[in-house]
Amino acid sequence: MTAVAQRVRTRNRTRLRGFLLALPPVLVIAFFIGLPVIAAIAYTFGYSGGINSVVAALAQKQHLVDGAAPTFDAYREVLGDSSFRTDLLVTVIVTIVTVVLVMVLSWAIALYARFSRGVLAKLVTALAVVPMFIPVVIASYAILTFYSTDGFTRTLFHLLGWEDSPALAYKMTGVTVGQVWTHLPFGVLLISSGLSSVPDTLIDAARDAGASMSRAVRAVMIPMAALPTIIVATFTGIGVLGSFTVPYLIGPNAPNMLGVSMAQYYQSFNQAQQAVVMAVVVFVLAAGIGYFYVRANAKSARGSGRL
Amino acid sequence: MSLRIEAVSKVLGGRTIVDSLDLEVETGQLASLLGPSGCGKTTTLRMIGGFLRPDAGQVLIDGQDVTAIAPERRPTAMVFQNYALWPHMTVFKNIAFGLKLRRMPRDEIRSRVEDVLRTVNLLHHIDSHPGQISGGEQQRVALARALVLEPKVLLLDEPLSNLDAKLRERVRDDIREIQQRVGITTVLVTHDQDEALSISDKVAVMTGGRIDQYDPPSTIYRAPRTRFVADFVGTMNLLRATVHDDHVATGDVKIPVRGAALGVEGEWDVGVRPEDVRVSPSEGAPAQVARVIPRGHYTELVLMLGEQRLRAFVGPGSGDDLPEGATAHIEISRALLYREGLLHQA
Amino acid sequence: MGAWARRAGVALFVLAMLLFVIGPLAWLSLRAFAQTWEYPRLLPREWTLHWWETVLEDAQLGGAIRLSFVFAPVTVLVSSVICLPAAYAFARHDFPGRRVMLLSLFATNAFPKMGLFITIAGLFYSLKIMGTFVGVVVVHVLGTLVVMTWIPAAAFAAVPRSLEEAARDAGAGPIRTFFSVTFPIAAPGILVAMIMAFLASFDEAQGTFLVGTPTYITMPTEMYTLVLNYPEQAAAVFSIMLSVPSVVLMLLVRKHVMGGRLAEGFQLR
Repeated sequence: MTAVAQRVRTRNRTRLRGFLLALPPVLVIAFFIGLPVIAAIAYTFGYSGGINSVVAALAQKQHLVDGAAPTFDAYREVLGDSSFRTDLLVTVIVTIVTVVLVMVLSWAIALYARFSRGVLAKLVTALAVVPMFIPVVIASYAILTFYSTDGFTRTLFHLLGWEDSPALAYKMTGVTVGQVWTHLPFGVLLISSGLSSVPDTLIDAARDAGASMSRAVRAVMIPMAALPTIIVATFTGIGVLGSFTVPYLIGPNAPNMLGVSMAQYYQSFNQAQQAVVMAVVVFVLAAGIGYFYVRANAKSARGSGRL
Repeated sequence: MSLRIEAVSKVLGGRTIVDSLDLEVETGQLASLLGPSGCGKTTTLRMIGGFLRPDAGQVLIDGQDVTAIAPERRPTAMVFQNYALWPHMTVFKNIAFGLKLRRMPRDEIRSRVEDVLRTVNLLHHIDSHPGQISGGEQQRVALARALVLEPKVLLLDEPLSNLDAKLRERVRDDIREIQQRVGITTVLVTHDQDEALSISDKVAVMTGGRIDQYDPPSTIYRAPRTRFVADFVGTMNLLRATVHDDHVATGDVKIPVRGAALGVEGEWDVGVRPEDVRVSPSEGAPAQVARVIPRGHYTELVLMLGEQRLRAFVGPGSGDDLPEGATAHIEISRALLYREGLLHQA
Repeated sequence: MGAWARRAGVALFVLAMLLFVIGPLAWLSLRAFAQTWEYPRLLPREWTLHWWETVLEDAQLGGAIRLSFVFAPVTVLVSSVICLPAAYAFARHDFPGRRVMLLSLFATNAFPKMGLFITIAGLFYSLKIMGTFVGVVVVHVLGTLVVMTWIPAAAFAAVPRSLEEAARDAGAGPIRTFFSVTFPIAAPGILVAMIMAFLASFDEAQGTFLVGTPTYITMPTEMYTLVLNYPEQAAAVFSIMLSVPSVVLMLLVRKHVMGGRLAEGFQLR
């Protein structure tokens, strides 16, 4: 055997070994997530066979296929329902507002920590990461009581002389506060780490060329931290879209976010198919967001974005 | 006087990094700050660039006090040690950045960038990203980015330290050639004495936050004003010896000094450049040849005078054929005498 | 003047952050010791430890706590076995489909959990793991795959190859090299991932509720019932107890989390 053939064989063997090692989590996902998701999508089009049969046997008000052709009746019913459309709108608004707030706060905190070496900067970063330590159920419950009618905010305003200040609990504003609270650590950590990987000399060089501090930040920091920024936006967006606990505990009965509506349709109304239709709608939105994440990663891997 | 630093001091983390330092660089000249790491040279450069504010003293450019002026408004431009090219911008955008801030018309920006790239021979890389070009080319882009702003003072922070040995010499010559062609006042920081001596009009040798000597390269080499400079710049044999009129004595060995008499007597630190050691078969003090190191166009001999080690650079036919272990005879043609660290001026 | 205004602004911002982040937790903690507390009083009128006794003596709640501490380590263990070799492969091998496989993990986040759990029930029934210990572990493991692969992969990738080569050079075989060089250097990243996985399992409520009830009720699942059916003070006590392990574990790896170990994991190479 020639040396070249030998080398090709060894390389193929290590590639195969890498592939096999990487396979288990992918297989677990394919089997326990991929399969049910495909079944779920099939179910929304009226197919009740296979692993859907158990759910289909129990659920009510289903739209099932007659022959082989898919039926869109389930979508027609859900999308035609005005309360669903309200919930969808509420979900999208909460998602957008949360993403924007998380971005602004994370950037503000990360920039402050990047340029100030003081104790306060350390304190603010540490504060922003605290929510990561707290289980979401607890956080939601704590936020609920903090902003409720007998909560701290109203008590404080009362003592300051504002008798009938509004309570944010059981309102979508409260839900948004809760979403920002739970998603802030991820944003601050990623953007801080992105900013700290921008060397000081790159900022110095921009100032040397005549840029003011804020101009230097805009011209150098922001583009160089683009990837973590997009990661934060997409993960926050996807996380909020599919969230359940925060809107379930803090939000009102209706309208509320789709994560809660899904659970309601499935558990309270026993309408599994309608619930899954909602899940597919959220999935489509999340996939749209995910596309940006994938594209941004691919772009930064290809370009010269890394020193 | 283009650049002047007066009694500038800087304390960082409780340590005095720069200690009441004075420096003057004339228009169009290149001055190097040379010294070991931690001597305060980079801190001095950063104070000239405005990235650090001196605790005391003044920085003047063309007679104007710029001490309190922010880097973006100072007529200085810096080439950073690791080049600090913005990786997300092309070569063109890197260079054009400062011009855009000056609200220059687009056509003029284009032509200026092209001009400066022509000067550094990189016009063909105008649309490349920094990650796509070699280290030497990145160096030149950084230089172009500084030059395009037409600063009054160009600052170079260890500009060659990230290049390999072969490239270093070429880029060094390029920098000198461009600097002289543009005629720009330049301050260069380096820890490499070869670099400083070969590129500068004047070299400031720094230690402990102060300048020990500020002179043209030849003076620095031939007449180092302090024992530190003597030791730091070039190879120097330093012997603790008793000086007599026509010889120096170390231990039992008396080394004859030829040429001019030393004019003093007593205990001194005697500095002798290796090329000022003469080796002959019979005349002078006997010494053992410990090692023979061929250096190409000359030969380096490591000689033992009892316990004292002495290096000598010898040319063809004047001792380079001695084998290791042989006995050589040496004389000194020129000696520098130091007492309490300072050169004795005859 | 400008400097003062800026400093005041910063101080105000820090204060607002303090209220925003810590306020709800502090407010809830106070409640755990409150006997009577009427609006609009800033502090409880009477204090008591009575609620702690109530919760600690409740057998059902105690069982939930114990169960959570069983599921979390089992989840971490199973997830490690599945994910860590894969993480190493993603970091060190190049093979066809590598990026697609790495990204397929990300897809697990995109489909809402609720929708997934509805149809996963059918799969679990046919596998006969509905309402079983295994079923709950599967649900918990699913929530940990991303962090347990991505973060360790970044940690492995950050180990300089030259260090491994030096070990090989010194005569160590590939397995010896992995355990005496690669693994110890990557350990902080792996630890961060494991603790994140532990907390994810500790935090999982929805799936556990759908798959595990009535046999397996963990702390967070119990919390939902508690919030709805018990006095607020009992829920507060339970909240504190549920937070303690999280806080302790996170404090252990705080340095690495802040140091960017977590952030690294989300930037795919």
